Amino acid sequence: MKDSNSETIDFGYKKVAKGEKQGLVANVFNSVAKKYDVMNDVMSFGIHRLWKRYTIDCSGVRSGMKVLDIAGGTGDLTEQFSRRVGPTGEVVLADINNAMLEVGRDKLRNRGIVGNVRYVQANAEELPFADNSFDIITIAFGLRNVTEKQKALESMLRVLKPGGRLLVLEFSKPVLPVLSSAYDFYSFNVLPQMGRMVAGDAESYQYLAESIRMHPDQETLKGMMETAGYEQVTFTNLTGGIVALHRGFKF
Amino acid sequence: MLWTVLPTSAIEALLNQLLALDSASRSRLQKLQGKRLRVTLGELGKPLTLTATDQQLLLSWVDQEPVDCHIITRLAVLPELRDSANITRLIKADALDIEGDPMLAQAFSKLIADLDIDWPEQLSQRIGDVPAQFVVQAWQRSQRWLNQRREDQQQWLRDVLIEEQRLAPGQHEFAEFTENVQALRARVDRIEFELKERQRGQ
Ligand SMILES: C[S@@+](CC[C@H](N)C(=O)[O-])C[C@H]1O[C@@H](n2cnc3c(N)ncnc32)[C@H](O)[C@@H]1O
Repeated sequence: MKDSNSETIDFGYKKVAKGEKQGLVANVFNSVAKKYDVMNDVMSFGIHRLWKRYTIDCSGVRSGMKVLDIAGGTGDLTEQFSRRVGPTGEVVLADINNAMLEVGRDKLRNRGIVGNVRYVQANAEELPFADNSFDIITIAFGLRNVTEKQKALESMLRVLKPGGRLLVLEFSKPVLPVLSSAYDFYSFNVLPQMGRMVAGDAESYQYLAESIRMHPDQETLKGMMETAGYEQVTFTNLTGGIVALHRGFKF
Repeated sequence: MLWTVLPTSAIEALLNQLLALDSASRSRLQKLQGKRLRVTLGELGKPLTLTATDQQLLLSWVDQEPVDCHIITRLAVLPELRDSANITRLIKADALDIEGDPMLAQAFSKLIADLDIDWPEQLSQRIGDVPAQFVVQAWQRSQRWLNQRREDQQQWLRDVLIEEQRLAPGQHEFAEFTENVQALRARVDRIEFELKERQRGQ
């Protein structure tokens, strides 16, 4: 067997040892945690809110359900799920990074979201939950940061209830070449500059741009979900494919 | 995607702001909690789904999950639905189709119809008592002024039509005309009667 440290994996455009990526990703999110929400609004012109709302509307969430928001960061999706599942349901906000979880916890408490949210530090590749626990799992802008994506997809399938669904919201491949090159210019020239100005951290946003480019495109991700065992896998392009929402069911 | 999510989110935000202004909304929402209504209007094509949570009303054009009540109709028919006596007639006339619980649709519309917002109170909470009093008085003054203007205009219109242009009859003229018509009708009736009598006599 190979030592996992001698295998390499993408960290943005760089190749790093597999065992190293997790720590490097942690550095990125440690350094942006406090400014994360502001940057999201600035960088996407607020559109990330609509992508997230679209995801919620496709989730089929009902009062009383159990929802897992993995790589949930500062909890945008968790907040909306919490209002919808009501006092009889539960939302678990899980993230590998404690700094992000803390920011999320403070934000949600200030907004009066208490009672039906649980905060868990967890790695998407090895979820610390029992089999068949959740009606819905979402991973928004998180999968591309995960070292072993296939393993994460399988782990999520395991904790999903039969009849439950997984929603993956992630940057993807723009459909139109024109859009694609405008977007490239934006992410490699404008984004890191904005990161420097607003968050004082150009490098993390350089990583962001690179990790987006290295992430599997729509069809590839769909294939990975099917390989993991999801059924009726479909995807919808949002904003011309800059972002895609993948959906799959466990039966 | 922008156009399927943005308009409904905007309306939803506005709607919930309004609901929050009436403290009774909370208990009305709680009664509906978890209930879902879908409205498909012929003109719009896209079905609009409303979901009640214990604190908010949610709107979506994207949601395609099952609902408790689905109303399929046209925009023009909506006002008629306020009176439940119309429902059977509208269904028979093919102007309305309801799947599920029809009472639910009315419960949703009551959320809005029963809204009772104390605007002066809301204002004084936001800008303070004195400025609010000032705004309310200014509002009442402008309402009075508007009503006065409207009356003046109607008077002016009457004058022009009746006195100056003689396009329409005045009140007296109209009464006289009506009397004349009635007298004429009476004479016609009498002549008709006499004619029949004569025909019989022949
Ligand atoms: C770009 S943020 C997305 C946050 C949130 N879902 C949103 O949409 O705003 C990505 C998050 O993924 C988390 N993350 C990265 N690798 C992870 C892993 N292996 N397991 C769980 N979370 C992970 C990071 O800590 C970070 O908070």
